[in-house]
Amino acid sequence: MQDMHQHYNGVLVGLSYAVSVLGSFTALQFALGIPLAQNAKQRWGAILAAGAAMGGGAIWAMHFIAMLACNMGTQVTYDVLLTTISAVLAVVACSLGLAIVGSGAFRFINLLFAGVLMGLGVAGMHYLGMAAMLSSAQVSYDGGIVALSVGIAIVASMAALWLAFNLRGKLQMLGSALVMGVAVCGMHYTGMSAMEVSQGDTVPAGFEQGLQGQHLGLAIFVVVVLLLAVALGLSIVRQQRRAALSI
Amino acid sequence: MAELEVRVVSERREGLLVELGRVVTEYGHVLIRQRLVQEAHGACLTLVLRGPDERQLALEEALGTHPRVLSFESLRPQLVETPAPQAVATPFEGRAAPAPRVAPASIPRPTAPPDSAPIAAGADVGRVERMLPSLAKDYPRIFPWLINLDYAVAAEARDASLYLAGRRTGAWVYKRDFALGAKLGLIDAIRRIALPALRVLVTVEHHDNQLHVRGCPLCQPGGASGGRFFCGFIEGLLAESVDARTVFVRETSCHSHGASMCVFDISH
Repeated sequence: MQDMHQHYNGVLVGLSYAVSVLGSFTALQFALGIPLAQNAKQRWGAILAAGAAMGGGAIWAMHFIAMLACNMGTQVTYDVLLTTISAVLAVVACSLGLAIVGSGAFRFINLLFAGVLMGLGVAGMHYLGMAAMLSSAQVSYDGGIVALSVGIAIVASMAALWLAFNLRGKLQMLGSALVMGVAVCGMHYTGMSAMEVSQGDTVPAGFEQGLQGQHLGLAIFVVVVLLLAVALGLSIVRQQRRAALSI
Repeated sequence: MAELEVRVVSERREGLLVELGRVVTEYGHVLIRQRLVQEAHGACLTLVLRGPDERQLALEEALGTHPRVLSFESLRPQLVETPAPQAVATPFEGRAAPAPRVAPASIPRPTAPPDSAPIAAGADVGRVERMLPSLAKDYPRIFPWLINLDYAVAAEARDASLYLAGRRTGAWVYKRDFALGAKLGLIDAIRRIALPALRVLVTVEHHDNQLHVRGCPLCQPGGASGGRFFCGFIEGLLAESVDARTVFVRETSCHSHGASMCVFDISH
């Protein structure tokens, strides 16, 4: 079998980081509302919105932009079911992580649990997304680098959550979103470097029915537009509330 | 001992009686009867209380500025001179916090816990209320308003009025600029919330549990201390941000009494 090499489109790689930061920024805006929720409905609304923005935007959309950026020298499609499950996994893991860290007083044990959940959510989404990949190529992984990629996701997630919930002021959300972007992208590209690809002979079953690049591009476009709209809307609402706050 | 009837409106009824009951007990009053009804604008709780006359004003102030209370009215059936409802402030929004107390004007401040501090008089709530919107509009250039308040209120209400103004301003600044995020430990809350908020107003340094204010405009040498404003301001800032039930701030030295700077000691 002939080894295949990955080549990246630099612009799309940069865009993948930008999308992960935008998704994290939007998610953290929701997440920081969790401690302020006055009833269970508000609380779960904030948790699910934060989890959806983080899992669907910062992680899932970033992952597939990065996959579009990667040229492996063979045509690739994606299994629809596994791709969908990977997105759901990311959303659920991030929602749980943010629910833990956003509840009650900020404690290291909560940060640890939340960081592990979110890190595993990032990694789980990535490797499930990779498993959804359909191509003639044969894929194998270097276990050590895979473990490193998971570790990066967990540690950087913890750092981002600590920044988000402990800092105040300008660095709070932007700083934590930038670090969360590092968590997601660091995990992804480390995970990709763990992948060894070799040329296979046949394409797997379902290859023709799989999601192709243009479909993914459209889905990602929708997610990014939604994230932008929500981030902008939240900022406007918060500004209006601040202005209307009576002394 | 005199009877006092108060009527408060709160957003939610859950736990309202318990929380206000704590305040009532804290001020040496007992609950004679109560009525809680749900109205269109919120839960309306009427309390008939009995307790020492000298603590009534302070109790009214504490109830009127309680974070659960949206509006507050007080009737003193046994006081002929105040038959009409006494409208008091819409309180700051925030977590249960120590009620405003008035410490003696002399510096250094007593080191005894605030619960044992003598209560001199209540704040001139009406005057503070009228000033607060202007203060918010001009924030952070608030010192002219505070100096004005200092001269406008009666001497015995001065400290409590400054404290109330500080408390309300601190709670407002907290909600405006610092509310997003988790509850913090006291030192972290001082460093990340109180310090940056005070820097907008004065030159300030942070040392452990203390904040040192240089050249405080409210504490001119030879004059009266305006430190109660900062005590209230810091308490208002930290009340909701700290993982503790209450935060206490005491001024342990004051520029107006010859110290090089005003020192505020923060504890919980």
